[in-house]
Amino acid sequence: MSFDSLAEIKVQVETPDYDSGNLQSILSEIKFALEQLLQQNKTHCIDLRAMPWSPGEETRLEEYLGRGEISVELNALGKSSFYETRFSGIWIVTHYNQQDEIIGKLIEITYMPDMIYAQYEDVKNSLERLQQP
Amino acid sequence: MNKKTLFELLQQQGITRRGFLKYCTALTSLMALPPAMIPTVAKALESARRPSVIWLSFQECTGCTESLTRSHSPTVEGLIFDYISLDYHHTLQAASGAAAEHAREQAMKDNYGKYLVVVDGSIPLADPGYSTIAGISNLDMLNETVAGAAAVIAVGTCSAYGGLPHAAPNPTGAVSVSSLIKDKPVINVPGCPPIPTVITGVLAHYLTFGSIPELDELGRPKVFYGQSIHDRCYRRPFYDKGLFAETFDDEGAKKGWCLYRLGCKGPMTYNACATLKWNQQTSWPVESGHGCLGCSEPNFWDAGSFYQALSIPDGDYARAAGYAAAAGVAVGAAAGFVHQKTKSTAVAQHSEISVDDFSLNKD
Ligand code: SF4
Ligand code: SF4
Repeated sequence: MSFDSLAEIKVQVETPDYDSGNLQSILSEIKFALEQLLQQNKTHCIDLRAMPWSPGEETRLEEYLGRGEISVELNALGKSSFYETRFSGIWIVTHYNQQDEIIGKLIEITYMPDMIYAQYEDVKNSLERLQQP
Repeated sequence: MNKKTLFELLQQQGITRRGFLKYCTALTSLMALPPAMIPTVAKALESARRPSVIWLSFQECTGCTESLTRSHSPTVEGLIFDYISLDYHHTLQAASGAAAEHAREQAMKDNYGKYLVVVDGSIPLADPGYSTIAGISNLDMLNETVAGAAAVIAVGTCSAYGGLPHAAPNPTGAVSVSSLIKDKPVINVPGCPPIPTVITGVLAHYLTFGSIPELDELGRPKVFYGQSIHDRCYRRPFYDKGLFAETFDDEGAKKGWCLYRLGCKGPMTYNACATLKWNQQTSWPVESGHGCLGCSEPNFWDAGSFYQALSIPDGDYARAAGYAAAAGVAVGAAAGFVHQKTKSTAVAQHSEISVDDFSLNKD
């Protein structure tokens, strides 16, 4: 038997129920960032892969933030998913590679993640393609 | 060196600006830079060119290459190595013998002064016969290859400090790269093996900024080796409360208490395991219930039993504990934020970070 990626091996991880304190600190960072977004229109971004999570902690954060009204899927160099959590203005962004492995995971505190907008270079390219006979 | 920039190569493959930005996001995270740096990384990559890389394997077990070829994020094949020209790696390349050596010499000639040399394994000085490639001693090959290099990356504890071959009584007279190479920048990426994403992260830094990252006093990139395992360990709140596992299967072990008394070397070990983790961020040694062995520190093989508790809390331990007490917050929270704080200080110090800020070691 051979596997192309770890994800194919079905492993169930049991997570002991204790807290390293990461959750409270990340939530207070998020709260502060939301205030800044409202007051100064300043966006903020947290790299979730740079956090020293204890087992299960990241999942607990995602469960707490929940899912809100909108989600967007991007297909470029593999999939990416953007969704707003049940707290408007707090987005969870996950980037996958072509093998469906996570290559980036972020919390964005913003009205809309920048990458969702059509990009200037791509729009220019569209026009050029349409203008070709 | 390839004439096309990385951005042009991506465009040629029909990758959109969004795709490019996604690549930059992944790369920024891989380099352990804060997300605020993504636009800077994008700007730098627009003009980055493929560097040529020559990989030399000396007295080693191939564990470092194994680690690297299993790195996933971004995949070696897909995202990093497409844009690095790996011109010589005698374990991975198809050619061997004279043909392989010819490839090395050609790459050196074509990219003189600009290529990167990656070394895994230590260099035996007692008798060159202990390790040769195509009849050339490791020492000769190192000196000859490094002569035209821009920088040398010593991957793994063996090439960074001598490693296992250097362990007492060091029969082969094994030494590290940095003890031999004095006239070129040497970046140490220790670990037995190093975390694969750290290896690719250092290569990515060079690819992106054309410079080497900021190093600590042991020549290690600070972004990855700036904090101790203990500083970032999620079991740290237990350590601070004095809750220790005494055996590997007692109540404390089951509850996930601190492994200090079982010999954890986390307090004196600088590495990124606690955040980057292993095997696609699945887990890491302490999370699996075993103490840190200290594999990214010099002479860890000779530092006594892996299961002997560290006797004296070292300076770092005292400093870290003091910091937490002064801040008056739960240590777990503080420990969780050390990394981000370092990053945001870096950001705060530059109102706008430019590519030039990363070109510290260009000459
Ligand atoms: S001694 Fe080891 S297990 Fe305990 S907190 Fe430090 S690094 Fe973690
Ligand atoms: S936990 Fe310690 S011994 Fe284990 S890989 Fe990380 S630095 Fe090396």
